[in-house]
Amino acid sequence: MSLLRAWLAGLPAYLWSGWGAVASLLLLLAAWEGASAHYGALILPDPASTFATLHRLIDSGAAWPELAVTARRALAGLALAVATGSLLGLAAGVSMTASMMSRPLVTVLLGTPPIAWLVLAMLWFGADDGTPVFTVFIACFPIVFVGALQGARTLDHHLKDMARVFRLPLAMKLFDLYLPHVVSYLFPAWITALGTSWKVVVMAELLSSADGVGAALAVSRSHLDTAATLAWIGAVVGLLLLVEYLLLEPVKRDVERWREVGHEPA
Amino acid sequence: MSLPELKLRGVSHAYALKTVLEGIDLDLPAGRVLALVGPSGCGKTTLLHLCAGLLVLRTGAIENGFRNPAVMFQQPRLLPWKTARDNIALGLKAAGLPQAECISRAQAMGHAVGLDAAALDQFPHTLSGGMQSRAALARALVLEPDLLLMDEPFSALDIGLKAQLHRQLLDHLARRSLAVLMITHDLMEAVRLADSVLVMASDPGRIAHRIEIAAPALTRDDAFVHRTTAELLQAPAVRECFGLEAPPDAGMACEGSAAMVVRIGSAQPRGKKGFSC
Ligand SMILES: Nc1ncnc2c1ncn2[C@@H]1O[C@H](COP(=O)(O)OP(=O)(O)O)[C@@H](O)[C@H]1O
Ligand SMILES: [Mg+2]
Repeated sequence: MSLLRAWLAGLPAYLWSGWGAVASLLLLLAAWEGASAHYGALILPDPASTFATLHRLIDSGAAWPELAVTARRALAGLALAVATGSLLGLAAGVSMTASMMSRPLVTVLLGTPPIAWLVLAMLWFGADDGTPVFTVFIACFPIVFVGALQGARTLDHHLKDMARVFRLPLAMKLFDLYLPHVVSYLFPAWITALGTSWKVVVMAELLSSADGVGAALAVSRSHLDTAATLAWIGAVVGLLLLVEYLLLEPVKRDVERWREVGHEPA
Repeated sequence: MSLPELKLRGVSHAYALKTVLEGIDLDLPAGRVLALVGPSGCGKTTLLHLCAGLLVLRTGAIENGFRNPAVMFQQPRLLPWKTARDNIALGLKAAGLPQAECISRAQAMGHAVGLDAAALDQFPHTLSGGMQSRAALARALVLEPDLLLMDEPFSALDIGLKAQLHRQLLDHLARRSLAVLMITHDLMEAVRLADSVLVMASDPGRIAHRIEIAAPALTRDDAFVHRTTAELLQAPAVRECFGLEAPPDAGMACEGSAAMVVRIGSAQPRGKKGFSC
């Protein structure tokens, strides 16, 4: 509840600070407009007609069900990755051996392109929901895992000594020492994973599903409907931007009020 | 019931193969202030961590009769995600006191060491070094300890701040009986605050020289502190510990009224005779 109040109270100042971002987005629109005038509407429709198409999609009720399906898959994969990645990462971070052993594995996971996982997933799960969910999970897991691992590994032993000397009971050690530190690493990792999940799910749907935004993109491509394609892309990107900047970023600021801007904890 | 005491007998410590402490004996009775002075790297922090139970004692014996020890570390070691007030209240909260009492006592102790309400609301990274040290001092004192272990607590502060914090510590000592084991590399600080000053030599760390200062700490003025420090610096053992050249009149070293030399460490291993630092 206090989080909600803090979120509402911080919103005006936060929005005001967003003018720079708005200006750069408008610049992008101008460049888009220019490119569209140069190449013609078939290659690149101008922003106005793209947004008109998007508006039509939303008005006709065609957009929301597809977006909902896509969001469900992305969030399912993300939730799995956040849960297992956080737990396993913390567990690995506690032990020196485990963190050394998991390093190369994580590098392999991070280095494998999601498209490779997608092909495997299609073989394993077919045209099921399992394919996009698994692909999202496997793409997000190493990101969360590394965040959790670093959070657990970087806890200052000086602070641990301090906690011992001041006889902090286990619950206080957990909630006043370990958790705030770990969350400051985990939270950014979760946000990065969210962005990844959203991108990967669309790709997976494009190649493997009959519904969702990715499937809609495949259809509009086969109709050579560039305006619809751009409209879907706009819907996906817009939704992600809304969630990230209106919800997560203010929460992140509140959670990390104690930390200097751009300053990594010791 | 006898008064509690901290007693070290033949304490030695080694990191891997490197011996950093050898044959340390000392006694700290209740209500006394004992300063350990020595050059950097002579093992002072190690000794304090042994006393605080943060390192496992392998050789020798430490008897700690105090019930409620508190520690002030070389760095403030405040929790970065808690305000100064909540940092000061940490030990009280750990002891299970009700929230309201923790906060009000933390607040009072914060004020006593010179932190105002605005400073108490801030997170450590926005506080100056001096403010952070004050918070660390308050965090230790608010527990009303009977033993306070301090590791060069004021070494990063300028002389003005140092003097203020010395004053606040002495005020606290005047109000409550508290044994202090204070580590420093600053002889003057030791002479200003302590009842006994022990000078340590390095490689391996051992106690080379000791003086007792009879005058109560609150009555010592700058002239007294300067004079006593100068006398202490005449002692060849002390000069050698800090790597200073022998004074020209080394023979008349320890005639100062306040100084009484007690040589400890006659049982030197490795075949050394007597002591040399
Ligand atoms: N954890 C450690 N492992 C190995 N050597 C250490 C460790 N801590 C301190 N030392 C060494 O022990 C010696 C004494 O250190 P310390 O007790 O910190 O000295 P002081 O506090 O007097 O400056 C130093 O030479 C230091 O390098
Ligand atoms: Mg030290």
